[in-house]
Amino acid sequence: MAVDLEKILRPVDHPLPPFPAKYMTLASGETMVIRQATRDEVPELLKHVAPLVYVERDYYDLVAARVYAELLGWYHYRMQDEYVLVAQIDGELAAIVNGRTVNPKLGMSLHTLAMRRGLRIGAHAFAAKMEYHIDILDQDEVLIVAESPIGFRRWMIEYKLEERFETSHELGGVPSYALTKELFDRARNTLVVGRRPVPDDLLAKAHEAILPPADPPTPPQDLLAATRAKYDSTGTALILQRWAQERSQGDA
Amino acid sequence: MREINAYRCRRCGTLHYPFRMVCKECKENDFFEFDPVPLPRTGRIVTWTRIYNLPAEFEVPTLGVAVVELDNGLRMLGQIDIADPQIGMEVVGSVQVVRRDAYESRYGMVFRAA
Amino acid sequence: MREVYVAGIGITTFTRLEFPLAEIAAYASMAAMKDSGIDRFDHLYVANMGSARINNQSALASAVVDTLSQTPAGAERIENGPASGASAIKQGFMAVASGMHDVVMVTGAERMREVNNLEATNFVATLTHPLAEYVYGVTLPSHAAMFTKLYMERYGVTERHLAMVGVKNQNNATMNEWAHLQQPITMDGIMDSPEAFTNNPYVSEPLRFFDCCPVSDGGASVLLTTKEIAQSTGRPLVRITGIGQATDTLAVFEREDPTDLLAVRRSARLAYDMAGIEPSDVDVAELHDAFTILEIAESEEAGFFPKGEGHLALERGETEIGGKLPINPSGGLKGKGHPVGATGVAQAHEIVTQLRGEAGERQVADARIGFTCNFGGFGNNVISMTYRREE
Repeated sequence: MAVDLEKILRPVDHPLPPFPAKYMTLASGETMVIRQATRDEVPELLKHVAPLVYVERDYYDLVAARVYAELLGWYHYRMQDEYVLVAQIDGELAAIVNGRTVNPKLGMSLHTLAMRRGLRIGAHAFAAKMEYHIDILDQDEVLIVAESPIGFRRWMIEYKLEERFETSHELGGVPSYALTKELFDRARNTLVVGRRPVPDDLLAKAHEAILPPADPPTPPQDLLAATRAKYDSTGTALILQRWAQERSQGDA
Repeated sequence: MREINAYRCRRCGTLHYPFRMVCKECKENDFFEFDPVPLPRTGRIVTWTRIYNLPAEFEVPTLGVAVVELDNGLRMLGQIDIADPQIGMEVVGSVQVVRRDAYESRYGMVFRAA
Repeated sequence: MREVYVAGIGITTFTRLEFPLAEIAAYASMAAMKDSGIDRFDHLYVANMGSARINNQSALASAVVDTLSQTPAGAERIENGPASGASAIKQGFMAVASGMHDVVMVTGAERMREVNNLEATNFVATLTHPLAEYVYGVTLPSHAAMFTKLYMERYGVTERHLAMVGVKNQNNATMNEWAHLQQPITMDGIMDSPEAFTNNPYVSEPLRFFDCCPVSDGGASVLLTTKEIAQSTGRPLVRITGIGQATDTLAVFEREDPTDLLAVRRSARLAYDMAGIEPSDVDVAELHDAFTILEIAESEEAGFFPKGEGHLALERGETEIGGKLPINPSGGLKGKGHPVGATGVAQAHEIVTQLRGEAGERQVADARIGFTCNFGGFGNNVISMTYRREE
């Protein structure tokens, strides 16, 4: 019975060609490997995504919450045709990108979540995702939405994505844009970066384990602090209250 | 037809662009004694750049701007609609909308290859 | 005119700070008071460019003097674009030198990251000429980029030279606990490897991502006072020996020679004359490298290297910490960060740290005379200063 029910509840995945891993040098001189993740790595990934749900800035909270849901959905076989790519620096998790195919010719980009900032890691990860859809899966176009204004500038404006407003993107029905094969070809020199094949030792290190990110984004020091300046410019009182509270807790 | 003007000091004849209130040569024009003189439309590129990180109102991927030395010796900054700009390139300008604020369209010089 | 000494210095980390602007200024001021052991000042100057526009706080100095409980001391905000810091130090200097006040706190602070990057770019762009530049969409990076193109054409500076400045300064910044960027970068990563240009895309051609300073929040303070009071603190004596300021046309295209930074040259000369020294006497300099090209150009205009040869000195390693004339041992604006109002004061903070011999790993050996250059607008309002360690 459980098996029959599972047959109904579980969507049938179409066989997709795997993403061939690639590597690139970052501005810091470090090497990053981007490879496809497997379902059994999801519990480990979730551990690193979870804390980001509490980082209330730059839309980290929203993106992390959605990525968490998408990874979990994939893990429990309740998402069809989803793929997950991970970017690792010496085994350490640097970014997660995911997406899925709507039909053989149409892809839907889901998210790009970067764990380390200042090295354009998000740019590399996003490019890898686009390469997967257009070059490797041989699709005609990929639907994309942006949650943050910076994302909108980086993708919609920079790559001159075409509007697809009639199509509802899965992420809450926000207006979709599309990267077509033609746009991809025109931007090939910025969208296809990195080298293959990945040297054996690098690849082995990446597959060995997903290590926790060394310096992930953290929530603002004082949850009130980020909003305080907007509504109350004499918020010093709140900090002092909090210090007093901590001191009395320390004494207790 | 819109013009962009230089300003000639009524006392010593020095041309200024952009506008200033006191003549920079003779400094004696009792403030504000200038006659508008339309800027020439032709000149040469002195230097240029293509801007990738633009302010929010500009919904284009990149924007070209250049400093152009006009035929009367004055220099000005303008946007450029040129695929492959070079220092020294001959250009010709026209006055168009260069920026849209919340309520207004702002005009300025846009240069093309001559 | 009395002699003016820096008795205390303070600084916050330059990064993304999550507390209000007035508190950023207060933290830095409190650090300077702790450093000097002096806990009351007669007057406060707060250097800041964007408080009213970005942080919705006008009359910033009044807020700071109150939060520090230093009322009834007088206070003003000094705004001079990116040169606000040096302008405020100049005002503080004049207050002490004239005999009007004995102890003056000069604090620079900025909280740029209260708004997003696009807004911050737009805000900084407002210092350009409204009708002849701003309206066209120029940004500060685009001015620096056009200047760079001419430098490349006339003097043979290449993108590689620019990258060298970035690498040097970010590496210096890793030795500076207050710096924004604690990540060294390599030439391979930003120039040579096949992926270099995804790592280092154009911001405004030919300037790239790693040629431009980061957007930072932060504050820095110096406490200025008389010789007697400075001596009583028991800290090494550092005196401000020269100050020079010069302005130039607002519209960058109206400059006489578009590859000259005339205001830098003039202000540096005035500072050297006031101090009675020559550029060759300077042991360490903090220049305004909001864009890597500016470090090269300013090093020439300040008289350290012949015009057009700054990039050659860079190649020879003369501007490294162990070199002939270390420039930006703190990491400069590129590595340390650029909270606009705080920068000028942060430059003073670094020079005083160096002259006191307290710079740790990034200490320049035997630093006795220091030089700072705070570049306002795009070279149209520049303040240079010289400092001397006295026994």
